[in-house]
Amino acid sequence: MDDIGILPSFPFAASTLMLVGAILLFGLAAGELVTRLFRLPRITGFVAAGLLLGPDVSGVLDSAVLSELSIFADISLGLILFELGRRLNLRWFVHDPWLLASSLGESLLSFLFVYASLRFFDLEPLYAATAAAIAMATSPAVLIMIVNEQRAKGPLTERMMALTALNNVYAFLLLALLFGFVHLEHSAGGLRVVLHPLYMIAGSVGLGFLAFVIARTFARWLGKREDAQFAMLLGLIVGTVGCAISFNLSVLLALLAFGVFAKNLDRNHDLMAVEFGPGAQFFLVMLFVITGAGLQPSELAIAGLIGAAFVAARLAGKMLGIVLFAPLSGLARSKAMLLGVGMVPMSAIAVVMVQGASALYPEFGARLSAIVLSAVVILELVGPLATQWALRRSGEAAPQSGSGA
Amino acid sequence: MTLEFSHSAPLTVGIELELMILSTHDWNLMRGAEDLLRLIEKEGHAGDIKPEITESMIEISTSVHTDCAAMLAELRGMRDIVVRNARRLNLAISGGGAHPFQHWSEQRIFPKERFVRLHEMYGYLAKQFTVFGQHIHVGIGSGDEAIYLLHLMSRYMPHFIALSASSPFSQGADTAFDSSRLNSINAFPLSGTMPFVADWNEFNAYFDTMRDLKVVESMKDFYWDIRPKPEYGTIEIRVCDTPLTVERAVLLGAYAQALARHLTLDRPRQPSQDVYRVYSYNRFTASRYGLEAGFIDAYTRERRSLREDIAATLAEVAPHAQALGCASAIAEIDGLLKTGQTDCGWLRETYAKTGSLGSVVRLQSELWAGAQRNPTPS
Repeated sequence: MDDIGILPSFPFAASTLMLVGAILLFGLAAGELVTRLFRLPRITGFVAAGLLLGPDVSGVLDSAVLSELSIFADISLGLILFELGRRLNLRWFVHDPWLLASSLGESLLSFLFVYASLRFFDLEPLYAATAAAIAMATSPAVLIMIVNEQRAKGPLTERMMALTALNNVYAFLLLALLFGFVHLEHSAGGLRVVLHPLYMIAGSVGLGFLAFVIARTFARWLGKREDAQFAMLLGLIVGTVGCAISFNLSVLLALLAFGVFAKNLDRNHDLMAVEFGPGAQFFLVMLFVITGAGLQPSELAIAGLIGAAFVAARLAGKMLGIVLFAPLSGLARSKAMLLGVGMVPMSAIAVVMVQGASALYPEFGARLSAIVLSAVVILELVGPLATQWALRRSGEAAPQSGSGA
Repeated sequence: MTLEFSHSAPLTVGIELELMILSTHDWNLMRGAEDLLRLIEKEGHAGDIKPEITESMIEISTSVHTDCAAMLAELRGMRDIVVRNARRLNLAISGGGAHPFQHWSEQRIFPKERFVRLHEMYGYLAKQFTVFGQHIHVGIGSGDEAIYLLHLMSRYMPHFIALSASSPFSQGADTAFDSSRLNSINAFPLSGTMPFVADWNEFNAYFDTMRDLKVVESMKDFYWDIRPKPEYGTIEIRVCDTPLTVERAVLLGAYAQALARHLTLDRPRQPSQDVYRVYSYNRFTASRYGLEAGFIDAYTRERRSLREDIAATLAEVAPHAQALGCASAIAEIDGLLKTGQTDCGWLRETYAKTGSLGSVVRLQSELWAGAQRNPTPS
């Protein structure tokens, strides 16, 4: 009747942008609070904020909204994986083969320990193996975030990054292989068993390589201008993430490969070392809040003891593997312990992996998710603390501002 | 208490080099001295490879040499050990007088008591002191001889500054200086030159006074450009930037040795206060302009180019270099004067070619590890 068209109709619909702004501010505030009150890492606050907002607790963010927001999480993961890949100097493994041994050791032992403990709880071998493969991976996001927040620099930090990049690759390859068996289990066609893993691996690495070739050509044309190269890389990272999703490839492998190629194949050093700086904070906060919202503490009750056993076995495997091998690669034994602790955060990418499995075979995914997701709940909250402690203890974290300067 | 001047074989020479420890990721300075030293110790090379004030610095020192070829062989061996072990830790090592873009506030101090005390005393200066120098020890028979040689050597410090200069960039910018490192040293209260004492007794009296006044605790607290080192029985030249290669470092050592032989055997002049009157001026122009600097000869009161003065000195010391078996080193320095291919010039050229200081540091570390001097156009 007297609708003059300039006022919004009531009740107004919350736009996505309003939500994004609110999430960012809420997450940031929660991060600050846990740091100031409890001296916990900010990430723990971001994740806790997400948990509170998520469907399992208050339901402010329901799954529809979450899938709309997942674009931010995808971009952040792209940035993080590229950064991690770019820190992986492959020549290091030539100069110090023991590093590769300790990487294989910690991954293999955490796989075996988790597999054995799940088998102890009478889980079928295929489920146990899939969960154990997921357990191998350390969270790149948590690691990069804590390293940036603590301004950590040093040999221990470098090793954490290298081992994390590698154990994510192992986890992915093993999962791709296991998916083949899942196909078999569900009596899919014989060709699919082989083709699916092959497509995922070759396709993702190929996509990463393509992105690298474009980046290098583009960079030569742009010249050594940091701002221009920054925008170019950002565009390529986002584009590559998008392509990986569209083509059903692995975001993890494609972006990691992009980073590794950029570090190791750019012989003329056309690509500059670009720091993503404070701008990246936006994406990181979004990533962790969204991750938190995706956590399902209710799974804890269902998984119960198995979830706890999973966490304990994983920790034992990682610690043992690193303590056995790392000292052979020039790390002091005391630091090897810290390295093991630093590798505790479990990848929220595990969530994505489980979702991948659920999409293919819902029943398979559901059985897996209770175990893995309950472990993710525990480790998302405890993991950042472990990494932060390890970096501070080693002396590689920058001294806290205001103390002693 | 008097300082006892140990006897050492005259005209022997030894070199200490402070080196950068670098990240192979962003080519900034990186903590790593502790792990690196632990690996090196396992190979049985403790002692001559030591930590320095910050954890991103390591020092290598040669044994005492009479022959510069033997010194070069030893230094190459040490370089290879350090580089090999650094690679195992994913670190890189390089020469150069200052890191081109590190920020001083990011430096952390090596947790050794003396260094922690220095940091308390000097505050940010101790961290800004993250510069990398070459020290040359020349053996001398007695304290009195040391004082004589030191006063005569002072005239030649600009030569060593210009020939070694390798720190044109600092805190991410071209400083316009060939050796910006020297400016970092000037800030310390006990930098500069030794007072004009006549002999070892007079020096001891001076040292006792300073110690009684609690200005210093030991000889280590003097940051002079040349200082006597009584416990080694040497004088120590400290103005040089760490060169980009061990070969250059040995050239400087050989030059110092030949010059010392010339000054102690030929006795061309007497110590003069005039040298110290023009000292800061000569030192400044050498650090600013390198080989292109002007030079005031305090004895003849003439002004000439530093290049000319070095060339003339090379001619004077050539027979002594011959006698010491290092004639080739003097010839090489002479060639360097003509081509002007200084380390500082290499750094500026490399920056002009690559457009990024990160690339400069990367190529600098490759040069240190033994790569060819002419940079590939990358």
